[in-house]
Amino acid sequence: MFKNHIKVAWRNLWANPLFSIINVLGLSLGMAIALVLYLFIGHELSFDNLYKGESNVYRILLNTDGDSFSQETWAGAPNALAPAMKTDIPNIKYTARILKHGFGTNANVKVGNNIFLEKELYWADADIFDLLKVEIVLGNRSDINAPNSVALSQKTAKQYFGNTEAIGKTIEIDNRQKMEVVAIYKDMPKNSSYKFNVIASPKATYAKNLYWSNASYETLVQFNTNISVPEVERQIQQLVDKNVEKENQWFSFSLQPLERIHLYSAEYSDSYAARLGDIQEIKNLSLLAILILVIACINYMNLTTARSQKRSKEVGINKTLGAVKRTLVVRFYIETALITLIAMIIGVVLAVLALPWFNYLSNQELDPSLLLEPMSFLAFLVIWAVTTLVAGSYPALYLSGFSPKSAFSPSYKQGGTAILVRKGLVVVQFAASAILIVGILIIYQQIRFIGNQNLGFEPDNIVVVSVAGINSQTGLDEIAQEFKGLGQVTDVALAQGFPGTGVSLNTLFKDREDRKGLDIQTNVSDPEVLDVLGLRLLAGTTLPKNKQENDTLIEVVLNKTAVDYLGYTPEEAINKKVFINREVRIVGVVDDFNFTSLHTPIGAYAFTNNDTEYKGYALVRFGNYSPDFLNQLERTFKAVDPETVFDYSFLDKNIEKLYEREQRTIRVGLIFCGLAILVACLGLFGLAAFMAEQRKKEIGIRKVLGASIFNVFKMLSTDFVKLVVLALAIAFPIAYWLSNRWLQEFAYHIEIYWWVFALTGLVALAITLFTISFQAIKAARSNPVKSLRTE
Amino acid sequence: MLLQLKNIFKWVNTGGQRIFLLKDINLEVEEGEFISIMGPSGSGKSTLLNVIGMLDTFDEGEYHFLDESVHTLKEKYRSNLYKEYIGFVFQSYHLLDDLTVAENLEMPLLYKKVKGSERKALVADILDRFNIVGKKDLFPSQLSGGQQQLVGVARALIASPKLILADEPTGNLNSQQSEEIMELFKKLNKENGVTIIQVTHSEKNAAYGSRIINLLDGRKV
Repeated sequence: MFKNHIKVAWRNLWANPLFSIINVLGLSLGMAIALVLYLFIGHELSFDNLYKGESNVYRILLNTDGDSFSQETWAGAPNALAPAMKTDIPNIKYTARILKHGFGTNANVKVGNNIFLEKELYWADADIFDLLKVEIVLGNRSDINAPNSVALSQKTAKQYFGNTEAIGKTIEIDNRQKMEVVAIYKDMPKNSSYKFNVIASPKATYAKNLYWSNASYETLVQFNTNISVPEVERQIQQLVDKNVEKENQWFSFSLQPLERIHLYSAEYSDSYAARLGDIQEIKNLSLLAILILVIACINYMNLTTARSQKRSKEVGINKTLGAVKRTLVVRFYIETALITLIAMIIGVVLAVLALPWFNYLSNQELDPSLLLEPMSFLAFLVIWAVTTLVAGSYPALYLSGFSPKSAFSPSYKQGGTAILVRKGLVVVQFAASAILIVGILIIYQQIRFIGNQNLGFEPDNIVVVSVAGINSQTGLDEIAQEFKGLGQVTDVALAQGFPGTGVSLNTLFKDREDRKGLDIQTNVSDPEVLDVLGLRLLAGTTLPKNKQENDTLIEVVLNKTAVDYLGYTPEEAINKKVFINREVRIVGVVDDFNFTSLHTPIGAYAFTNNDTEYKGYALVRFGNYSPDFLNQLERTFKAVDPETVFDYSFLDKNIEKLYEREQRTIRVGLIFCGLAILVACLGLFGLAAFMAEQRKKEIGIRKVLGASIFNVFKMLSTDFVKLVVLALAIAFPIAYWLSNRWLQEFAYHIEIYWWVFALTGLVALAITLFTISFQAIKAARSNPVKSLRTE
Repeated sequence: MLLQLKNIFKWVNTGGQRIFLLKDINLEVEEGEFISIMGPSGSGKSTLLNVIGMLDTFDEGEYHFLDESVHTLKEKYRSNLYKEYIGFVFQSYHLLDDLTVAENLEMPLLYKKVKGSERKALVADILDRFNIVGKKDLFPSQLSGGQQQLVGVARALIASPKLILADEPTGNLNSQQSEEIMELFKKLNKENGVTIIQVTHSEKNAAYGSRIINLLDGRKV
């Protein structure tokens, strides 16, 4: 019996090549997408899996109290916390603090006569090796505790020292700290959120003095046994009460399990975890994949039931020959399973072919060989089974229900419900496609909007050069001077940071009575910074040029938002004294500018000549860009500081990076949207073909009565156009709601215009008409005598 | 007695009116009979045949088939009953297009869960009996109408039914092919004792049978 089922299914496949090709193509596209996403999601979910099982590792999160700072969660904690926890809280096995070099910048590493730009250098307590199970392959774990010792990953060691022995050698970081290499460890796996190339002991540097006020240290804790999270959080609070006065407690702490770091940290600021994912993105992509598969399944159901006229006869005959319903259900499922199996095989091939492309679009490094792992075969099986069950359900249950009597009546007409269901499915398909089209249009517009948004400064034509390796003020002055001397350069300013990067977060108070305060970003900069960035001065002047060595007065240039908080007009604000950590004098006011991404509204910002922070960057504004310009810059830089790598970036490119996620969404989304529409069109095409076939006789009669080709085309198209219009009516409110919700993520966003919907409607209708026109015209042109002669 | 119909009524309601398809039909069929049902178009011939074949239901009356009360049986048992005892022959042959002659013949055996080796034997046997061994691997579309109907009859016979129901079996055939099929029916009836009920328009074909039932407007006349 089974063999017979297979045989019949196989022959059926070949008996209707068009039907089979459309089905297989649609399903295999759907499956290919599902498989690629399976790999992607599997990879994302595998993150920090290596720490699962003994999951007593937590990261400490800092929650600001919403008073001194607006309410946020930070990934960093004060460096005093970990040692205090270790002594006061029982049951703690390991603690480690992690600080990315220079609070999040690249490091300049000098090895002998070579210099390297190291992007992943971390200062971390030695316990990190136990916490993250970093395996030491050379050297002793105990040596890492020593101040001025450093451990390298195997890859990094090879990069720095080639094949020579690295242990015992000295490297110099940012021309300041000489560190001895004491250990080599295995490279961190690809699915670890943390990626440490160099782990340096902070004993002599960042961990030397302990503070409760600077929360820049990511802190990991491992407990001996399972703990109650609220209990430990309470203990930490006691600890804070003991060490920090109530009025300085602008934070509280909470615990985040290690395995949740990768996917559930998108909202937390300043995480050093190099590879962060986003659970929301995974959910969205899964939804899309399921949607496309569903559309392909709907195609299958549609096409199969569309042929029910032929199938009803077959079912009828089989029933008179003694088949029972169950047998026929099995047979239709086998038929579906065969088609989905073929689709699956093609889908795997498509997935392998499409993977490099997907990697490129989404910045992933997924390996096609993952598809050959046993787990993948399980995934194939599940996808295959689910698709078969879903796609086969309606045909199997509907077709097998035909009464044997239908075999006797040649003019058997399809039941109303079948047609209704099929129409319903087409509506669902098109509604889904329309939602995707609207979504993509809105995302595209928003990205364009961001690109064209007046940021309040001019990010073009600015090169940012890292000068963190230069230690002396004279060196810094010299390099600024030298840069200025270059022909193309119009202005140079040294600064702690630049728009798009974090600077220092402080609180602005109007006077001693001001209890409220306002978050303010402070950026230690040269006076020229206003010119380099192209900021508009509303009142006053820029920072004073020459600051006396013994001049303890600090000047600031505030932005409009800060002055608004103080309640002054820009003019009034000049020479007023306010508090940012200490008393400062306002010398100028600039118009607001977007110093972070457009996701967030503009906050208060200050340029200051305080000397609490390094000025680690030279911002160089140039006139005309020539290919040689960067070489000139590099030569100039090297002449002043031969010890440091020339590390540069373009400011406008940095700004673009803030919207990387959106860019990625739009790229992946476009592809998926296109595929979804393609699959839906395939179904429509097939359906139109069968509709034309079914109404062959009617068309013949109409033509004999004098209908023109256009009349027939209109007749066949109207039905579909009605369905598409209905689909659009359903889709638009949903699309509007979803788009609106997405746009709310941006502090600055576009309005949703009516023409987006009009355009989507036109596109959908055009696609529909185009798809069915082929069939309609073919049917309309056929010779009526032929179709009327049958029966 | 093979089957007995008692006061069978069947109707449809259209526009508030009840239209009778079958009206008070009483019929007894003994094993070994060869009955022809005749009547003009719309007189209820096919409906009666469908009711006898249990493919269609009726609204009133009793139907006994080999001492089973068909009117009280559930669909599943009814289909078991006809699977076991009845073979169908259709006007437009109704062979399965995707299966070869041999596979078409094998189908009823598959549904009866006959073992593989036995199936092969039975198919070979009937191919032989009907002289169509050379056609066994052809598809229906490769056969003439007469040949297709020959296969249709062979398929109806393969599971050794007690009763063959034929709905205008020669309606689509020319006179020579018709004659061959009717001779075949006669032979099956005489030599093998198979009961046959056929619907026909043709007096000539009806004459092959042992009894003729005339219908008019759903009523026996």
